Amino acid sequence: MVRPVVVEELLKVRNLTKRFGAVAANDGVSLDVRKGEVHCLFGENGAGKSTLSACLYGYYRADSGEIVFKGKTAELNSPADALRLGIGMVHQHFVLVSNFTVLENIIVGSSDVGVFLNKSEARRKVVALCQECGIDIDLDREIWQLSVGEQQWVEILKALYFGAELLILDEPTAVLTPQQSDQLFRIISGMRSRGLSIILISHKLREVMQSDRVTILRKGKVVATVETAGSTAESITALMVGHKVTKHVRDRSVMPAGEFLSLRNVCAKGDWSEDVLKDVSFDIAKHEVLGLAGVAGNGQKELFEVLMGVRAASSGGFSLDGEAIVAPTSREMLDRGVGFVPDDRFLEGLIPEFGTAENLVLGWQRAPEYRRGPFLDRRKLGLLARKKIEEFRVVTASADLPVERLSGGNAQRVILAREFLHARGLLLANQPTRGLDVAASEFVCEKILEKRAAGFAVLLASEELDDLMRLCDRIAVIFKGRIMGIVRPEETSLLDLGMMMAGDAKEPERTVQ
Amino acid sequence: MISVQRRSGSSLGWNITCYSAAMICAFLTSAALLTFSGGDPVKAFSALLTGAFGSQNALYGSLAKATPLLLVGLGTVIAFRAKIWNIGQEGQVFAGAMAAYWMSLWVAPLPYWLAWLLIAIAGLVGGGVLGLLAGYLKVRFGTSEVISTVMLNYIVIYILAYLLDGGPWMESGLTVAYHQSSPVNPLLEWPILLGQGSGKMHIGFILALAAAAFCAVLLERTSLGYEIRAFGSNPTALRFRGTNIRRLLLVVMLLSGALAGLAGAGELFGTSHRLRAETLLGIGSSGIVVAMVGGLRPSGVMLAALFFGALKSGAIYMRLKSGTPAGLVSAMEGLVLLFFLCAAVATKLQLVRVEEKVHA
Ligand SMILES: Nc1ncnc2c1ncn2[C@@H]1O[C@H](COP(=O)(O)OP(=O)(O)OP(=O)(O)O)[C@@H](O)[C@H]1O
Ligand SMILES: [Mg+2]
Repeated sequence: MVRPVVVEELLKVRNLTKRFGAVAANDGVSLDVRKGEVHCLFGENGAGKSTLSACLYGYYRADSGEIVFKGKTAELNSPADALRLGIGMVHQHFVLVSNFTVLENIIVGSSDVGVFLNKSEARRKVVALCQECGIDIDLDREIWQLSVGEQQWVEILKALYFGAELLILDEPTAVLTPQQSDQLFRIISGMRSRGLSIILISHKLREVMQSDRVTILRKGKVVATVETAGSTAESITALMVGHKVTKHVRDRSVMPAGEFLSLRNVCAKGDWSEDVLKDVSFDIAKHEVLGLAGVAGNGQKELFEVLMGVRAASSGGFSLDGEAIVAPTSREMLDRGVGFVPDDRFLEGLIPEFGTAENLVLGWQRAPEYRRGPFLDRRKLGLLARKKIEEFRVVTASADLPVERLSGGNAQRVILAREFLHARGLLLANQPTRGLDVAASEFVCEKILEKRAAGFAVLLASEELDDLMRLCDRIAVIFKGRIMGIVRPEETSLLDLGMMMAGDAKEPERTVQ
Repeated sequence: MISVQRRSGSSLGWNITCYSAAMICAFLTSAALLTFSGGDPVKAFSALLTGAFGSQNALYGSLAKATPLLLVGLGTVIAFRAKIWNIGQEGQVFAGAMAAYWMSLWVAPLPYWLAWLLIAIAGLVGGGVLGLLAGYLKVRFGTSEVISTVMLNYIVIYILAYLLDGGPWMESGLTVAYHQSSPVNPLLEWPILLGQGSGKMHIGFILALAAAAFCAVLLERTSLGYEIRAFGSNPTALRFRGTNIRRLLLVVMLLSGALAGLAGAGELFGTSHRLRAETLLGIGSSGIVVAMVGGLRPSGVMLAALFFGALKSGAIYMRLKSGTPAGLVSAMEGLVLLFFLCAAVATKLQLVRVEEKVHA
């Protein structure tokens, strides 16, 4: 990447502090963002990255400190204030009107449109923006027809249309496929060369390494700001966690034995009765981690749902520990000791208004161990929560703080704590490390290996191919609802995996048992 | 400059401030409304107070008026906490009263305690079944409960009209229909605990208090309550985590309707002693208001029910004494609701003094 020639500070943050009760989410944070730079915020879950960006775009008001934008102290009382000054935010959960067209969504709410939309003028502006940033999108399609990645572009275009000079992206690639992520980064560098500044929050090191500078946060404080060019992924990680992260590898002396989960020709329909799973067959043994590699949206989600009993298989079936499972419900699967980490944590895994304690027993609220007579045993829940908060290092003000207020990664830890506690025998994990910081991801990997050693069968879907390669005994690749092949990591290269994920079928004899 | 901002936690003092302000605003607007409609607010409000609290009997009368509101309010809380929008309380009150009346035609030969019990159960079942029906329509056909419960209100109210107007329950011995049934068997009337004459408090009040305690414990302490609250926050996660949410929805509608039905039975056997549409109309909708004003918490609903019970009971006296039109009382009820809803939003905000500075 070409370095910006003029070093000019667009944004200066001085001693910004934001507290939530006793927790200082940001504690005297100072930060400079130059004109035309991609500035990355990096740090553990709960370090305060999202809170900082929320203060910068006017969602929260800092308790103290100063935000200087373009040389003037900015008084940000609402996102509208921020946008007026030129600070835009792309939300992880988009706020688009789904039956408006792309163009309408971009221009709605802008002051120069007037009562009657002057679309031709607006269209000219938007087309010019698209060209400058290299965004290729049909302005007349309606939002619901777009992929998640394209919806994100619309959010970006909207901010740019409103004249944003600083764009904040909070974990923008968490919901994107690798291809979409690459496209996003092309757009980011396009914006950068136009002189726009970007604050990027990410836990993925390869994305962090594409920025110009990185500010590392730990427990609400700035640890350091470094030039990416002079750093390595390792040095940045070390700054973040304060020590080196060792990557765990599965213990090859423990051999998978004794078939536990076995699928035969499972087919299933999607939400619009399209075929999403086609003849899926595989087995997982005890002491085995089976990886599921694939680009998001190729049927992984539905496969997990079938195994969890929340989506019916249209044909085929599966058995667990030698017993055929007929027309299962999620209750039955939980009772059979299946642990499940869903990929959409707030939608499928948590009750946002409940605290950590109550969420830890979600699904087990009627289990005798958590009850005293007809009542939930609050004391026991409290004790359990305290133990798990410590064990999984959940950063939360109290066991009863609604989990919707936890940082993304900490919310994920609550789910992991619950599932690792209750699963017996089978663990289904769909993107368990998504949104987790480097150290926490490793912690999850370690826990998965612990379960493997304890004799669990584990199905692990992940976009992190490196993780799959070191954790899994075998890796199944899924493409358009079909298993393209099952391979052993030690006999496969990342390139092979990539080919299979793109639909290039392995020779059948390469499928290993 | 003062600016308004989101508050990151709640504070008791601020909550009290907001709700007091809401009370004062409701009071002032009501006074303005009274003046505007040609009344004398001082006279009217003092009549209202006398009617509500002026004597022991007035007090008991207020408690009697609070009884059905509390029960309906609690039923509403159960449904609304699950974000199931049961607004068929009106019909469920009717159905409870009708089922209880029907039961009373059969149970006279039984020992009186058994007869009372059966009548109360009939009330619960009547309201509950109507709630369940709306729940079934939602589970089976995806019908919005907002629509189905309102439609069922009409159906039940018209069925009662048919039964009383030339139908089998018309007051016997009359040739002209008064749209009412014969009085219930005096032996089956619910016992009066306190008061006499116009202000009598029947055993239903105790039942309602017990129901409030029951609901508070149910929601906060039991597994079912956990599921009800979880359903309101995120039904998808609940479904993924092994709860049969269709059954849960049915249970919620059953409970919610049953409490409203009990209110109807109590009103019939404790207060009016005759099945008659006018005495039951409005209990359901006021009960919803009580639930909202009470912040969808059983304790809050108890306070709100007492307040609205006093308002309703005082209003009768106010109308007699100062000739204030009855519609104004409904308007006042609405105003209280409006300002309380505003206050509920205000409790989530804070005022902050902002210093304007210019960067050097
Ligand atoms: N509204 C809130 N109420 C109470 N505490 C909050 C609130 N919002 C955030 N916090 C706390 O502030 C801290 C910082 O949270 P923040 O969301 O900024 O972390 P983050 O760096 O974005 O983490 P992640 O990488 O997991 O997204 C956390 O401990 C969180 O629990
Ligand atoms: Mg965050």
